[in-house]
Amino acid sequence: MPGGGRCPDCGSTELVEDSHYSQSQLVCSDCGCVVTEGVLTTTFSDEGNLREVTYSRSTGENEQVSRSQQQGLRRVRDLCRVLQLPSTFEDTAVAYYQQAYRHPGIRAARLQKKEVLVGCCVLITCRQHNWPLTMGTICALLYADLDVFSGTYMQIVKLLGLDVPSLCLADLVKTYCSSFKLFQASPSVPAKYVEDKEKMLSRTLQLVELADETWLVTGRHPLPVITAATFLAWQSLQPSERLRCSLARFCKLANVDLPCPASSRLQELLAVLLRMAEQLAWLQVLRLDKRSVVKHIGDLLQHRHTLIRKAFRDGTAELEGGGKELQGQDLGPGRGKAEAASSSLDLPEGKRPASPALLLPPCMLKPPKRICPPPPISTVTGDEDISDSEIEQYLRTPQEMRDFQKAQAARQAATGVPNPT
Amino acid sequence: MDQNNSLPPYAQGLASPQGAMTPGIPIFSPMMPYGTGLTPQPIQNTNSLSLLEEQQRQQQQQAQQQAQQQQQQQQQQQAVAAVQQSTSQQAAPGASGQTPQLFHSQTLTTAPLPGTTPLYPSPVTPMTPITPATPASESSGIVPQLQNIVSTVNLGCKLDLKTIALRARNAEYNPKRFAAVIMRIREPRTTALIFSSGKMVCTGAKSEEQSRLAARKYARVVQKLGFPAKFLDFKIQNMVGSCDVKFPIRLEGLVLTHQQFSSYEPELFPGLIYRMIKPRIVLLIFVSGKVVLTGAKVRAEIYEAFENIYPILKGFRKTT
Repeated sequence: MPGGGRCPDCGSTELVEDSHYSQSQLVCSDCGCVVTEGVLTTTFSDEGNLREVTYSRSTGENEQVSRSQQQGLRRVRDLCRVLQLPSTFEDTAVAYYQQAYRHPGIRAARLQKKEVLVGCCVLITCRQHNWPLTMGTICALLYADLDVFSGTYMQIVKLLGLDVPSLCLADLVKTYCSSFKLFQASPSVPAKYVEDKEKMLSRTLQLVELADETWLVTGRHPLPVITAATFLAWQSLQPSERLRCSLARFCKLANVDLPCPASSRLQELLAVLLRMAEQLAWLQVLRLDKRSVVKHIGDLLQHRHTLIRKAFRDGTAELEGGGKELQGQDLGPGRGKAEAASSSLDLPEGKRPASPALLLPPCMLKPPKRICPPPPISTVTGDEDISDSEIEQYLRTPQEMRDFQKAQAARQAATGVPNPT
Repeated sequence: MDQNNSLPPYAQGLASPQGAMTPGIPIFSPMMPYGTGLTPQPIQNTNSLSLLEEQQRQQQQQAQQQAQQQQQQQQQQQAVAAVQQSTSQQAAPGASGQTPQLFHSQTLTTAPLPGTTPLYPSPVTPMTPITPATPASESSGIVPQLQNIVSTVNLGCKLDLKTIALRARNAEYNPKRFAAVIMRIREPRTTALIFSSGKMVCTGAKSEEQSRLAARKYARVVQKLGFPAKFLDFKIQNMVGSCDVKFPIRLEGLVLTHQQFSSYEPELFPGLIYRMIKPRIVLLIFVSGKVVLTGAKVRAEIYEAFENIYPILKGFRKTT
């Protein structure tokens, strides 16, 4: 009921707001006369607030979670469950996946890459919580190529700017060793091969530490070293029965894949142990070889710190100083049964222990594959004259061109394929 | 490849995420006492302040060195005089007032250290008045060798790759595999990719001058094949160098202390990938002590990067 308004026709005060669709109107309820009406169209200034919305924004595709992203997030959760990871890992991995998905490069990537990205997020989460998960495991679970995985992994670490700690070797040893099926007798595992888990774990850990100290682990894939160490630990706990078992058979018994480099790691580890054995007097006389040294691994590990110090001289100092011969072995404080006096008396000159070997990574001990001569000092300025004859040697004679064309035509006729060039 | 089919059967305690590691404070324990001015300092050079200082110094290299030498001599004389005074005071009671010889005979110099090119000055920290005797040369003495130079040049005209492949002996062209002619010359031993737009990439040379000469030879071959080839915008895009520090390196230790620059994944690659910020060079560091440096546009960047990394690597030398 507007105040003060009167219909110009009949003079009544009964005016009502009665909009005709979108047009606002003031109408007299007695005679029906339209007193005032609103504007039908909007002005430009009004339309300032009603700007058009682009299609991509109207669909909300960048705010919503796309179907492939949803699928990826589901795969992340599934992978965490398959690996039996704690639930907080799941949330972290999902967060990483979402974070990665915000980058346009990842959003537009191929499905193969998105699959592998699932594994990368889980791996990063595990590494940050020191959960020992190898890339090999993830690639096997995702049926992915290690090359594709490595490319995506390096990219995502750089993209998200993450600090990913290294794989924790000790944890990996514990996990990997526990997966060997040797702790209970079964139809495939005879009783003499069954071993106590704790003893094997502790000895394997010591052997891996030994390998780490003697440069066998740096720069190499950790798993073959651990496989070799586990094998040696297992053998040494009951050598009389187990020396006959080979590395390949051992892995088959334990239901574990044998990584290719494991045999060469095994040889390297045995060589280190042999060098250490040379420093123990009661082992020197036994003239050990790679098989018999296994029986004494227990003793060698017990005194490993001293033995490493005595058996190896610092490779770096050696390279620096140009080599000095260490003649007499000064046997340190006796932690073993070796008596300093007795050893120097018992062994005649000829049987003196060998001068210590260099403690260097194996790649530095091997002779270089090819000797690269230092490049001759070149006096090229870049602006010399170029003789025509030199260039002409790279041009075909007309005869050669005809021959080439004939050969091409012949090949084309033979294969029946249109000439690609 | 190797497979670890084991799934962790037990749940480990939930450690806090290791990802939030504190940025690595360079833990650098020098083997030999380093002087204040002569040794390249590790990582600290990446500070933005010293960046500007470094650039300024490189620009005014000659003048500064001379001025500094004069300055040092003055300071040396001052220091010697001061010491003489103090020692004479101290020694007054008994000694014959001998001046300590050690300050005299040491010549502190910021002349280019042996083993480095004159283009690149040794990074000098601000000279302090008190400069005790230091060994003059703290540089590594190792010069990285250039192994590969990649350069590009614009020949300035459209090319018909089929004709080039037909008329040149040293060319191969397989359009299904790659859309460019691959041409090789014997001296300098290089390879070029020649595209139909007239652009060319030249790889394999061992020095900048050789790369330029090789590119000119390729342009000349294309000219002789009948195209109006020019030699425009020759630019060196990448330089790769390598050297050997001759001692083994504990890569695991290096990645711990320099986490924000290093990437070491032994499961993927045996070397450590170190992304240096200043100069912007990527170094591949291997356990044998071999170092590959790449990503440089000029030779000086490679030398500078190596001088920066050498003290860091020396810090990881001791094993037990």
